[in-house]
Amino acid sequence: MQLTTMAWRTLMRNKRRSVITAFSVAFGVLLSVTFTASSDYAYTNMINTSAVMGLGHLSVEHPDYQDTPTLDKRLLDAEAVQQRALQTPGVTAAQVRIMGQAMFASGAKSVGGAFIAIDPGQETPAHNIFLRTLVEGQCFSADEEHGVVVGAKMAEKLNLRLGKKLIFTMTDKDGELVSELGRVSGIFKTGDDSVDGAVVLFPLALARKGLGYEPNAASLVAIFLSDHRAAKTIKGKLAGLWAQRPDIGVLTWQESQPDLAGLIAVDRLFNYLLQFLVGLVIAAGIMNTLLMSVMERQWEFGIMMALGMMPGQVVRLVLLESCWLGLLGLALGVIITTPWFLYMARIGIDFSGQIGKDYSAGGVLVDPVMKFRLYRESAMCIAAAVFSLTMVAGIFPAFKAGRTTPVENLKQG
Amino acid sequence: MNNTPLVQLENVSRIYQQGKVQVAAVTEFSLDVQAGEFSVLCGPSGSGKTTILNLIGALDEPSLGRVRLEGRDLAELGRSDLARLRRDRIGFVFQSYNLNPVLTACENAEFVLALQNIPKAQRRQRVMAVLAEVGMAELAQRRPDELSGGQQQRVAIARAIVSHPAIVLADEPTANVDSATADAILDLMVRLNQEQGITFLFSTHDQRVMDRARRLIHLRDGRLEHDEVRG
Ligand SMILES: Nc1ncnc2c1ncn2[C@@H]1O[C@H](COP(=O)(O)OP(=O)(O)OP(=O)(O)O)[C@@H](O)[C@H]1O
Ligand SMILES: [Mg+2]
Repeated sequence: MQLTTMAWRTLMRNKRRSVITAFSVAFGVLLSVTFTASSDYAYTNMINTSAVMGLGHLSVEHPDYQDTPTLDKRLLDAEAVQQRALQTPGVTAAQVRIMGQAMFASGAKSVGGAFIAIDPGQETPAHNIFLRTLVEGQCFSADEEHGVVVGAKMAEKLNLRLGKKLIFTMTDKDGELVSELGRVSGIFKTGDDSVDGAVVLFPLALARKGLGYEPNAASLVAIFLSDHRAAKTIKGKLAGLWAQRPDIGVLTWQESQPDLAGLIAVDRLFNYLLQFLVGLVIAAGIMNTLLMSVMERQWEFGIMMALGMMPGQVVRLVLLESCWLGLLGLALGVIITTPWFLYMARIGIDFSGQIGKDYSAGGVLVDPVMKFRLYRESAMCIAAAVFSLTMVAGIFPAFKAGRTTPVENLKQG
Repeated sequence: MNNTPLVQLENVSRIYQQGKVQVAAVTEFSLDVQAGEFSVLCGPSGSGKTTILNLIGALDEPSLGRVRLEGRDLAELGRSDLARLRRDRIGFVFQSYNLNPVLTACENAEFVLALQNIPKAQRRQRVMAVLAEVGMAELAQRRPDELSGGQQQRVAIARAIVSHPAIVLADEPTANVDSATADAILDLMVRLNQEQGITFLFSTHDQRVMDRARRLIHLRDGRLEHDEVRG
């Protein structure tokens, strides 16, 4: 007789109790998947959205640019950096950009803001949220030397329409004030007013000319990855390529967007804590069930130990029961969670009625549709955590059973 | 052939502490049991029968005195040595609820053999032979709740003897069955004793059981009252 079989039959002896307990484990799986998958989805979304707002998943830039983003800090061979980056596995796109502060003026009005100078021949909506959210006109073409794309809010503030002139003033690489003239070719609307009121796109060539940059110079190369989770690894690879270049630094999105990274870290921590607490409540329930079952079986343990079973074997038997309970719970969990997960992964729940269409957090637009996405490692983590909690819940009852002394329990009456 | 008694109790006392009162369950009790005996501990309720069986069966320790089994002083053995000793040298039959409810009759009977790590095929063979011996071969696949009290006791006896122990200790094995069943169980034990030389020591206060014994150890208040050996 194998202990494993015995443990299973013991569990099935009180089917109702075992199934109810297993369902509480399954419910834990469902909750855990709900929490984790909705945040895995939301984080991925936020990270990818933030990446397409300018800096990419990784940005290659002058090592001092992050701390003091003045326009004298620049990469001198941005195109070469871009080419090397594109050869790295996991990189889906790399864009050369110049980013900085400027004053924008039209007629009598002016506002401060930020510009992103891009190569119109290379940028695509896929990696540029402003081109993705154009509401009027289009991006300037490669031969529109003075084309600009402005946000809807700025257009409103400065009374801009397509074809209108926009004057922008910035400090060049030597600290001198320079002004350039642009003509509005497109207007975007991301939905975030602080972005729509401040960001202006214009051609890379115009920025280079105005700032006095060398022909291949740029503030950064924004790199996009097929999976943001690879950021650290790929940063390591790229940094290795330029180990001998003190003028080139690589930052992950966490480093270039510490606010977002912090927000996600705190949210994730809170999430884990919540899940852990739910887990504890469930574990307490499991422990209670096992303890009850152990108490009811004192006589049986007494007999088995009288017959020569070792305390360690009794402990193993009860641990195997909790192991079965964990597996049963996981199996039920998968059964009840799968349809819910599939629905949420494909369709999701639209919260735009509750939170509005243009909700942003940490400076990043948040998708109002709650959907699920579960990373493989998250799924394994949930399975491992649920299973270990069940096992941990079994430890005390198991030792309780192992401490049974045969004589005390064979006294009749 | 050495003639060391199988069981030796030397001046054994077992005193229970019950709150502030001390209860002497067994007092200065000495007893030798030889291999091949068919002996009965008898006496009124509370006279110490179960306590003595527990002491011999290495389930309990004496407060004073010495218990030897096959010449070995049990006080010198550790917890796991005692467990091994019970597994290999002693067969137990309790008054009731002997069997594990999740195991079939067959699995219950082979429980001790499984603890001894005897290979499954060999286990099955031995168990089926013994179940046939006690008349339970047909019902081998039933669970305890599908068996009568007498049938359960037969399975318990099968489990006690299948590992070829030095002695089978049975605490009122017939107390919870009707008299016809009790007779059948006794017949079985007598036969196993006569045919296979298995040593039995059991307790009872049932007169009909006492009539079948070859040695009657009378107890009163935890002391030996009379040790009666019959032809
Ligand atoms: N765990 C214990 N704690 C305190 N006293 C005990 C304990 N076990 C037994 N006793 C006492 O020891 C005495 C002997 O008990 P024991 O169970 O050995 O008697 P018995 O002859 O088997 O009785 P019965 O025929 O009722 O089974 C009784 O007075 C009993 O109350
Ligand atoms: Mg008794």
